[in-house]
Amino acid sequence: MILSRVADGLYWMGRYLERAENTARLLLVTEETSTEVFGLDEELARAEWRDLAEILPGPALPERATRQVSGLTAATLQAVAFSPAHPNSVYFSLKRARDNARTVREALTIEVFVNLNETYQDLEAQAGRRLNDTPAFRSALGAAHRGILSTVGAIEHTLSHDPGWLFLRLGESIERLYRAATVLRIKLPALLAPEPKVDLPLLHTRWRALLRGLSSLENFRQTSGARLEPLEVLHFLLFDPHAPRSLRYGANAVKDVLDRLSAAGHPSAPARLIGRLAAELTYRSDEVIQRGEYLTFLESVLDGVTKTHEAVSTLYFGT
Amino acid sequence: MKWIASKAGFDEVFRRPSAPRSHYAALISILESFTLDDVARRERLQRLALMNQGITFTVYGEKDGLERIFPFDFVPRIIPAGEWKLLQDGLVQRITALNLFLLDIYGEQKCLRDKVIPAELVFSRREYKRELRGVIPPRKIFTHVVGTDIIRDGEGRYLVLEDNCRVPSGVSYVLENRTLLNRVFPEFFASYPVRPINDYPSLLLETLLHAAPRASQSPVTVVLSPGIHNSAYFEHSFLAREMGVPLVEGRDLLVEGNRLFMRRTHGKRQVDVIYRRVDDEFLDPLTFRRDSMLGVPGLLNVYREGNVVLANAPGSGVADDKSVYAFMPALVKYYLDEEPLLPQVPTYLGFRKDDLRHMLEHADTLVIKTTGDAGGYGMLMGPFTAKKDIDAYLTGMRKNPGNYIAQPLVDLSSHPTHIDGRFEPRRIDLRPFILYGDRIRVLPGGLTRVALRAGSYVVNSSQGGGSKDTWVLAAREP
Repeated sequence: MILSRVADGLYWMGRYLERAENTARLLLVTEETSTEVFGLDEELARAEWRDLAEILPGPALPERATRQVSGLTAATLQAVAFSPAHPNSVYFSLKRARDNARTVREALTIEVFVNLNETYQDLEAQAGRRLNDTPAFRSALGAAHRGILSTVGAIEHTLSHDPGWLFLRLGESIERLYRAATVLRIKLPALLAPEPKVDLPLLHTRWRALLRGLSSLENFRQTSGARLEPLEVLHFLLFDPHAPRSLRYGANAVKDVLDRLSAAGHPSAPARLIGRLAAELTYRSDEVIQRGEYLTFLESVLDGVTKTHEAVSTLYFGT
Repeated sequence: MKWIASKAGFDEVFRRPSAPRSHYAALISILESFTLDDVARRERLQRLALMNQGITFTVYGEKDGLERIFPFDFVPRIIPAGEWKLLQDGLVQRITALNLFLLDIYGEQKCLRDKVIPAELVFSRREYKRELRGVIPPRKIFTHVVGTDIIRDGEGRYLVLEDNCRVPSGVSYVLENRTLLNRVFPEFFASYPVRPINDYPSLLLETLLHAAPRASQSPVTVVLSPGIHNSAYFEHSFLAREMGVPLVEGRDLLVEGNRLFMRRTHGKRQVDVIYRRVDDEFLDPLTFRRDSMLGVPGLLNVYREGNVVLANAPGSGVADDKSVYAFMPALVKYYLDEEPLLPQVPTYLGFRKDDLRHMLEHADTLVIKTTGDAGGYGMLMGPFTAKKDIDAYLTGMRKNPGNYIAQPLVDLSSHPTHIDGRFEPRRIDLRPFILYGDRIRVLPGGLTRVALRAGSYVVNSSQGGGSKDTWVLAAREP
């Protein structure tokens, strides 16, 4: 077993790395979606960004900034992607991931550290530049996104799958579950609201964006085809047993790690907490769908994840 | 390619302008085959590799968290086998004597009774720990790792400038410089029998295990670091990784029942050997500095009981005190009955009345240093300092003259160094690393530090120094 401080560092490295990846992906999808619909429905384009601001809260953004990019100022794009001052920017999360990696570097392989460090150095250089246009923004953010994914690949394929790796995975899976539940919690009310006049293609675009934001579009199509039936999408994002960003899969991933960290046959306090949540997501799907209690249910998922995190900190990190 | 020979001091490479010494001839001709553009491109690669691998250090007093690359000059320093033999033998002799001295002053104190060194001088050193008298570490080894600073005078003689017996740093750069040079200029290596150095981490681990308390069957070794904000953090992490042992901070350790444990996710585990990179003063708030957050309360008691080994042993710092240094030749003779193989720089002691008078009168020709400081801090370079600044320094010195020493300015040797497309002479020194385990081993290489500013004598990384790969050549078969 490993030092509590090192486990703590690896856990947060995993969380921040996952957060950076999520943020980069959400930003890329939101930017693209809002650019696409801006001419057709400016209010909707703005609503996409308002949702994002709610998912990734940060300091108020300078609205009077100069340049219009896709119904949004370049300053806003730059802030949520690259600003060191925004606590949910990709840069901020990646910096935290790297800070943690530096404190536990002896527990990492050179491939993991170099991939992460290179991605960070590139992003830092980007933070100091001014964006010329939207393609430049996409290209820079896309590169960071790929760098993060290659770091994740190095974690999976060069690190020994020992307790240190389990704590990295624990941080990653807890963060992923929490983020996915947050995105759904914020996006669903508007998507499910009975609207007076429904523009179907536009609604399709929004559900499609939701799936892409949770990197689930291709996965969904493979199980249900290209037609995006809202209830099917919802069922998929909450209860699919195989898609890595469905809530059910996420809770079981957390449970799997916590079971492996527990003594055989004696689930720890956090393993019991996440076990109950995973059971709900595995066995209560029909009930939730029938009653239409999505929002209450999502609140209980977020609450369960938070409590699991607290129990992990108390048990393993002594914090 | 433009090569400029040095005007003062010993030139490591050129016997006279455009006539390289024989062991440098091949290197010069390889370098001549490159264009300046090639060189610039290779240097960019080198910089990128350092940044991406995070081979950086932190400078104190600058913006929090500012990381800097330790500048690397790709022109390697080459030491022929014969010269190395002399250095190696001299260092083994010196480290043997240093450890006998430490054993003596923390034990019987014969050298004080025999007046080889004044007792008042030893006892007034901050690094002499009275509370550790009678505490003798296993195998009587105090300094498991030493980094001795060596310079060359105008005739090219190697001189010992300083012994670093506390927590000498830099060995990670020795290893990384070799890897980096191999990556950026692989062409250099084909013509030279360069002795490998990459077994250092395994030798270090062996050294530490050799020191383990006898009772322990499979000893647990850790590296103790002050943490990420320490300037040498990269090295602490590097050595832990290379040895495959945990890197711990004070807060990871706890004392229970006079034994030392580390806090782990699934219960605690006993620790037997600490390679500590934390100064004595911060090791244990119950014994030394009470405000230390870096140490472990009760650690020194565990050490006294013999339940944990600290490498280097606390209290070893007195052996590298700059005024104790003045007595090293006498101590070598006293303990070993041998003449010192490596000469050193003549030293005046503020502790002695006559020396002090000389120091006050000739400050403008001397280098004056405080005895307890390292890293080039607290130093006066008389020949390059304005009169009023010298006077201010001497005012400070008069208050506590025992803490000052002075040496004549030695014109360090120079080595061609790549500066903006030219090869200019820059002053260098050498820090070999010496391990004391089942025997004393000198790593065949070392950290060559280079003063990158033209005319500068200061090679410290905190003050504009860089480093070079250092090649020790294997003796060719006759």
